[in-house]
Amino acid sequence: MSAIVVNEFARMRHLHVVLLVAVLFAVVTGIGLYAAVFNPDFDRTSASSWNTLLMGMGSGFTLAAPLLLAVVASRLVDAEHQGGGWLMSATSGVTPGGLCRAKLLALGLLVAGATVLVSAAFAAVGLAVGIDAPWPAGRWLGLTACLLVVSLALLALHVVLAARVENQLVGIGLGLLGAVVALISTAVPTWIAHLTPWGYYALSAAAGYVDGQLAGFAPSYLNIGGLSAVAAAIFALFTRSFDRQEV
Amino acid sequence: MNALAAEFSKLKRSLSWAVVVLLPIVLVATGLIMTLIDGRGLEDGWHTLWMRSIVFYGLFPLSVGIAILASLVWRAEHRGSNWNALMAGPTPSLQIIIAKAAVISVLAAIMQVIAVVTTVALGMIGFGLPGFLPPEYLAISLLIILASVPVAVLQSWLSMQMRSFAAPVAVAFLGAGFSAFLLVVGLDAAIFISPYAALSRATQLGTATFADTGDITAGVIAAIIAACLLLSTLLAAANTVVLERADART
Repeated sequence: MSAIVVNEFARMRHLHVVLLVAVLFAVVTGIGLYAAVFNPDFDRTSASSWNTLLMGMGSGFTLAAPLLLAVVASRLVDAEHQGGGWLMSATSGVTPGGLCRAKLLALGLLVAGATVLVSAAFAAVGLAVGIDAPWPAGRWLGLTACLLVVSLALLALHVVLAARVENQLVGIGLGLLGAVVALISTAVPTWIAHLTPWGYYALSAAAGYVDGQLAGFAPSYLNIGGLSAVAAAIFALFTRSFDRQEV
Repeated sequence: MNALAAEFSKLKRSLSWAVVVLLPIVLVATGLIMTLIDGRGLEDGWHTLWMRSIVFYGLFPLSVGIAILASLVWRAEHRGSNWNALMAGPTPSLQIIIAKAAVISVLAAIMQVIAVVTTVALGMIGFGLPGFLPPEYLAISLLIILASVPVAVLQSWLSMQMRSFAAPVAVAFLGAGFSAFLLVVGLDAAIFISPYAALSRATQLGTATFADTGDITAGVIAAIIAACLLLSTLLAAANTVVLERADART
């Protein structure tokens, strides 16, 4: 497996996937910091400043990640459609399903790196500004982990979709729609947010407004864990069915 | 003219209708759903309705939608040996560029019409607003259609250069996001450099949001029209030169 994953990284070089993941990092950080620093509750003498940063990080992912994850997945998978890569890999012993798993693993590593960097950048801004309250380590790491799990689930969805439907319009269109769904999910009752994978960005929130007051709370770990189990099962099911198809 | 007719026939069964119809309806409805959820009413009737439905749509989804359409229009040329057929054909480069941009612009115009129809329908049926959409917004819609042209030309160029479907869409998302930021900080002159900024600026006209003051002045309208004409001409000319020098691929 590791040789196939290394191969995927080699393939990414000419596709500028690393650049796209860097764009993901930049856009999420840009939107998030803008939302956090211009929030009227951002004030370094109170604990609410950490909460605005936590909220900003969430909104950066909500707005930017759905579309950009779709783009990243489509880019790496579409190369196989264009160059007859499925057949070529199959003749060298790598099934289409195995190829999809390798792609998810390779892209997942990059996305995980970007997510950790975003989280570190936000913490660095908070520490640099000199927020008086102590850094909320538990909620911070919890939010980072939840955002990463949701992003990986979306990535898995888009890898399968891009492999299954050759017309990349479908995946990209769904990504754009996903951004809208993710945005709506931050405002609707939580049971609606559970219905789509994009809604789980809203469930990851570690801070928010409760009755007009900015407050910190724990992310919905159990629900995010449920999403990861469902996503893993569906991804395994689909990639296994790819293995049995004729290419 | 033949080149244009050919482009339209290539669109058949291309799923472009899905973007053209679904994108404006979903985005306009989203703006209004958010309004309903927040419990804020339409304090200023049709004006608030327009602001909630069209301004968010213009920030980045509209540019991304045009980018998707451009990728779709160029997709056929990047498949099989169609690129070489394009290189070997007798159609002048300028005609190809204009035909491609025109098809994308027509689709963008239809999108705007659907966005306006959705807004009016939701306003009259969904919210029971009295009267009709104020006529200035119909005029602004024409301006939005015009402002879609430079974005269409630029995305057509990007989709011509990049064989990937997704990469030009990412560029549009990034460009539109950055342009929105420039408009927020009050750099109005960005509309002369970034087509995305010109398009976003046109959607904000008369709403007092972001770069807009709420007054629709002749100066602002003239600036947007001038920016659109300038950017469209420059980008189309540059694109033609690039295509003229392109060669067959093996």
